Amino acid sequence: MRLKHMIAIIGVCYGIMAVLPIFVGDIRFVMNIMIMCLIWAVVASCWDLMMGFAGIFSFGQVAFFVMGAYCSGILAIEHSVPPVLAILMAGLFTAVMGVLVGLPCLKLAGPYIALVTFGVHMALQPVLRGKIGIAIGSGGSVGLLTIPPVSIFGYSFSSANIVPTFYLTLLLSLSCVLVIMFTIKSYWGVAFLALKDSQDFAMSLGISAFKYKLMVFALTSFLTGIIGAYYGHFYGVLSYRMLDLDLFSILMVMMLVGGLGHFPGSVFGAFLVVAGSELMAPLGAYRAVTMGALVVILVLALPNGMMGLFIGWRKRLSAG
Amino acid sequence: MFSEDTILLFYEITDVIIAGLSTGSVYALMAVGMTLVYGVTKAFNFAYGDFFNMGGYFAWILIVGLGLEFGGYPVVLLIVMPLLFAVGYGLEKLLVAPLRKRKDWENKVMMMTLGLALFLTSLYMVVFGVRMKSLPPILEGTWEVGQLVFSYQDIMIFVMSISGILIFAWVLNNTRIGMAVRAVAQNPVGATIVGIPKERIFATTFAISTVMVGFGGILLSQKWFINPNSGGIIMVKAWVVTALGGMGSIRGGLYAAFIIGMLEAFVGWMFGMSYGIIALFVLLLATLVLRPQGLRGKGE
Repeated sequence: MRLKHMIAIIGVCYGIMAVLPIFVGDIRFVMNIMIMCLIWAVVASCWDLMMGFAGIFSFGQVAFFVMGAYCSGILAIEHSVPPVLAILMAGLFTAVMGVLVGLPCLKLAGPYIALVTFGVHMALQPVLRGKIGIAIGSGGSVGLLTIPPVSIFGYSFSSANIVPTFYLTLLLSLSCVLVIMFTIKSYWGVAFLALKDSQDFAMSLGISAFKYKLMVFALTSFLTGIIGAYYGHFYGVLSYRMLDLDLFSILMVMMLVGGLGHFPGSVFGAFLVVAGSELMAPLGAYRAVTMGALVVILVLALPNGMMGLFIGWRKRLSAG
Repeated sequence: MFSEDTILLFYEITDVIIAGLSTGSVYALMAVGMTLVYGVTKAFNFAYGDFFNMGGYFAWILIVGLGLEFGGYPVVLLIVMPLLFAVGYGLEKLLVAPLRKRKDWENKVMMMTLGLALFLTSLYMVVFGVRMKSLPPILEGTWEVGQLVFSYQDIMIFVMSISGILIFAWVLNNTRIGMAVRAVAQNPVGATIVGIPKERIFATTFAISTVMVGFGGILLSQKWFINPNSGGIIMVKAWVVTALGGMGSIRGGLYAAFIIGMLEAFVGWMFGMSYGIIALFVLLLATLVLRPQGLRGKGE
């Protein structure tokens, strides 16, 4: 997709979001959902960059998100680091973790990468719950309960004054998404695509697989860590339960609805799915069942997501 | 000669070794199923651990839910195993086969089966509740040699899973269908040319692996309880065993399964059960870095 179209789609999505608080600004419930939309849009886009563009089948995105959230929360509570600094440090921490996870993955292919990253996800929960977690201040099975909200120059962005918080989230989310967009359209993005399509050929042209694969791990885990840390400060409480599979499946549905490897699609998908999953709240426990089934159905029936449909429709329009 | 403490420690370690052997044997069964399905169909099944729980739940429905009186476990196995075969065959035909025609279908299959895993996990939670279910032991009582106590249950688990593997190996090496499966694994195109129905072999191997892991589920659930949430961890375990043993090597899988069963039993005994998965993950990383082809694998 051309840069012009990407900017247009992102602009429309975020533009609508930016206008909405005028109408629903005093309904806290709706505002919360919108903030979640913005946060998940970043995570889904990072995952899309990883899977759809770099072609690395990583299932560790939720783990990085939780790592970032916990890191920043622990720094803010245990070591009373100001939240803004804590968020940045959490981002750097997850970036380092991303590189550490990425290193063994460089030599591996296909399901092995998926498994190592999924293993990170699986191993994180006992770490956070167990004695190691308690020693570093994760709060064990209770979790973190009193994470201070972000405050800039003494103004605190908590859920008490939700409209300014919303715009702060919008700014953060938009800048993360723009970083991802420009990465995709830069030399890096082309290198990712080349490595995905044919690693041997790309390497013969002088593209270092080592460098770019580590780069994508570092970048996506940095952004995911930052947004995870922000989520922790906004929400105020964290629990290891976030690592349960619900969140994982919802995130996957976002990416599949948007279309894997059709970048702004994941932003659009995230907005749609977060709102949709709130509408599905009356289903209760059946919501998770539906999400799992949706993943299966979407993979089978809608291989390129909404973006694929959109592109196909445009092609048909211009052809006839 | 020895102090009281040393003797107690000795008995304790023996218990841990027995536990490691009986879980290890089931891991071997699961790993063989996994190496089979990945080796033949090249489809990686993320829902593998949930089929383990499916076996457990089917047995639970029959024994506890319906209160099956006569026959006990032989009858249960006779009912559950064909059922699992049918489920595996149907799912392959319905979900995996259509994907096989797409480009980069291996990744699509991974995503689809992960979705299936999420679906099954949450379905179990809705249908059976979050609380764990327990199955009665296959054989009650113990066998005492001096002061050493072996429960019949552990012995039965060991014997049944090892004989399961042996039967499987015999089928693979000595029957026509086993030959067809090996032919498809070696060269799908060549196998099609000589008239082997490739699609049917794919579905059959998927179904066989479902039966094997479900059988493992019935065996191990008697000791562990059936936990709806455990599918992911079990899948990772089966995969670690497969990776350590070397893809495509049944004997390597056996060695690896016992190593991992022991490792888990000892780590659980010394540090607590929740550290088992961490130890396993460290072992997986070490294997992949030091010897990516596994203990007995042939390498790429």
